[in-house]
Amino acid sequence: MDKLVLTFVLAVARLFLQKDVDIDKLKIIVETKLMMDRRRVRVTMKKQSDKEPKNQLLVTQIVYAFFGLMMAGLIFYLKAIVLTMIFLHSYILFMMAMTMITDFSTIMLDTTDNQIILPRPVSSKTLFTARLVHILVYLLQFTLALALFPLIACFVVFGPLVGITAIFTVLFTVAFAVFLTYLLYALVLRFANEEKVKDIISYFQIFMTIFFAVGYQVLPRLINFDAIKRNFSLHTYSYFLPPVWMAITLEAIHDFNFDGIHVLMIALSFMIPAFAFWIMIKFLAPAFAKKLSAMGSSSDASSGKSISKKVHYKKPFEEKLSDLLSTNNTEKAGFELTWKMTARDRLFKMQFYPSLGYLFVFAFIFVFKSGQNIKMLWATLSSTTYFLWFVYLPMFSISSAIMLIAFNENFTASWVYLSSPLRLPGSLISGSLKSLLVKFFLPIFVLLFGFSFYVWGYTIADDFIFGFFNNILIFLLTAHFNSSYLPFSMQPNVKQQTGKFVKVFLQLVIVGALVGLHYVALMLPWMVAALIPFSAVGCYFMFKTIQQYKWIQITT
Amino acid sequence: MSIIQIQDLKKYYGANLVLKGIDLNITAGQIVGYIGPNGAGKSTTIKILSGIISDFEGTATVMGMDVRKDALDIKQKIGYIPEQAALYDVLTPMEYLRFVGKLYNLEDGIINTKSNDLLRLMELHDKADIRMTTFSKGMKQKVLLISGFIHNPEIIFLDEPLSGLDANAVILVKEILGQLKKNGKTIFYSSHIMDVVEKISDRIILIDKGEVKADGSFEELKNNAHLGSLENIFTSLTGGSEQHQSTAQDFINVLKS
Repeated sequence: MDKLVLTFVLAVARLFLQKDVDIDKLKIIVETKLMMDRRRVRVTMKKQSDKEPKNQLLVTQIVYAFFGLMMAGLIFYLKAIVLTMIFLHSYILFMMAMTMITDFSTIMLDTTDNQIILPRPVSSKTLFTARLVHILVYLLQFTLALALFPLIACFVVFGPLVGITAIFTVLFTVAFAVFLTYLLYALVLRFANEEKVKDIISYFQIFMTIFFAVGYQVLPRLINFDAIKRNFSLHTYSYFLPPVWMAITLEAIHDFNFDGIHVLMIALSFMIPAFAFWIMIKFLAPAFAKKLSAMGSSSDASSGKSISKKVHYKKPFEEKLSDLLSTNNTEKAGFELTWKMTARDRLFKMQFYPSLGYLFVFAFIFVFKSGQNIKMLWATLSSTTYFLWFVYLPMFSISSAIMLIAFNENFTASWVYLSSPLRLPGSLISGSLKSLLVKFFLPIFVLLFGFSFYVWGYTIADDFIFGFFNNILIFLLTAHFNSSYLPFSMQPNVKQQTGKFVKVFLQLVIVGALVGLHYVALMLPWMVAALIPFSAVGCYFMFKTIQQYKWIQITT
Repeated sequence: MSIIQIQDLKKYYGANLVLKGIDLNITAGQIVGYIGPNGAGKSTTIKILSGIISDFEGTATVMGMDVRKDALDIKQKIGYIPEQAALYDVLTPMEYLRFVGKLYNLEDGIINTKSNDLLRLMELHDKADIRMTTFSKGMKQKVLLISGFIHNPEIIFLDEPLSGLDANAVILVKEILGQLKKNGKTIFYSSHIMDVVEKISDRIILIDKGEVKADGSFEELKNNAHLGSLENIFTSLTGGSEQHQSTAQDFINVLKS
């Protein structure tokens, strides 16, 4: 499949390529890169890391095809050409731009092959174009997966002529998406360094993950497509949007209407993406690559604030917090390391931050259940006990961090734990857990408390205090019942210890018991307040237990 | 006075015996160069003496303390710098040194002052607040060296300390090791850079395939082997000299073919 697509891409690319791009060498470079990809694990597919990378690609294509199937369903349902084609082309534009950013940024920003390939008789333009072709090979396969069913729907619903034209408008949309991504990166690189770009990419990746979860779960509950169809009309500004050009082009073909506005839209549909693609190959991609090379070669003397003589170390906020909350130096080390690493480690951010996004999805699903009238529910919300969801939801999302902080790509750096005089390594873990609680649990808990206070009033204050301690207790018990890893000491993607069914079951029983106890306690007005000290003592006891972990209890 | 004592030290990795009964006595205040080919057992010996590996046979004491029983007390008094420049590079040098300092139970003020001064001496003061992701291997190695010295250890174990350092930094590290020795510190280090080992070591121990092949000052080794340089002594004792020549000749023949 790769080879077939590569042949197609090269055939099209020949139209755009300049004379100083050596097609034969470009083909060799791309073929080698594709071969390496088959042996490599893709960044966003870590969960399936033990499977073959080729299967992962297939899994992604199947997921994309599934989304495409939903879009095809919409075309069959609405049968309105302009509206559905705006949806389709916007969706493809968004998905391809996002896929470029989340999955192919590493290829775009990779400067390591400069040292490998550029010393050989290969021009820099050939190499940079090879990178672009490499991306396009994948992007077209994803496009095929995403657009296959919608295109079939176009053939069936709007006729074969529209179907054939839609193949071209889809391809031009992809070209435009690639151009937009390059433009975005070129702009970002103009104002920020490589690190900043990588940070931006990880935020996009997080956004993308949340978008899928929210899009899949929430949007169908909120959007009324029938109403949109009834009230649909194009505003003047709409004519500046590429998906609208494409949709009106297809409408022109469908209705055989070639008046002034339709001809203009047809011209824009084909000329602007083609022109943008040409601009990208001719100017943007080389300038972009030049900028990257410059950054790669000057990374040692990277920009940053230069300090003339002496570094005046000003204690940052997290270190002040760790002084306040930690009981010994080892705990402080664990607290501060976790605080800083969770803010900077891309692997952690990629895996954990989306789970914070899911929190709001869960809240929406559990509280605003499908089929219920949201206005009615909102009016009667204060008479329900749904606030219990808001009390305990934060912990469901944050518990995943317990395992995630064990893993780090720089796990070999954990030799320092073994070479330093740590009598009780448990303090490192307890410091780490405190850090997670303060950084992630507390702000969300306070936010949800604020919302609940607004809806239910002061009467739920004791529930939130009891829930606060219960959440921490659940968090600490979860940490206790899982294998005890030192922070950032394990290799990512290595299979974690499994088969601890009894532990997991026990953990679930305890979570169920604590939440159940809270629910039962709601029946007596004084009961919740009376239980608070017990939960608080439980937290204290669990912290002490974890602090006392010995080396023998640590999994290395 | 012996500050490090090893008797009949054996270490297995699975069925593979990598240390075959080593005996050593190291006197305090010496610089000991521990050399040998790849896989000879150098890093394993250093990890055992640093209290990192505890499953071995034989006895090993550091400052009179048993490395199995008193590993934590030993770790407090020694510095260890590993071969790989492995550190959490998303931290800045200051943050990393603060982290390590806390593991050695140092006070904030001491960590900050020492980190400042040592970074300045290693010419990293202008990068103290920059994340180490953009650092070269040599710059990371400097931060690692500082992290091994920050608690002022009595004995310093260094596994390939000069790897990745530029020429000026190598000279600086050599000088630092010399000054440490003058201040009564003991330095036990492995290296592949023979001329540095030759110049700064009071004693050179050469191991190969888990056994000590030669032990003495450079002068003693030179006189015993009747060879002029440590590199020649090394290749002679590890059986490499003729083999290297023959391999090099074969290489050229293939190129010509």
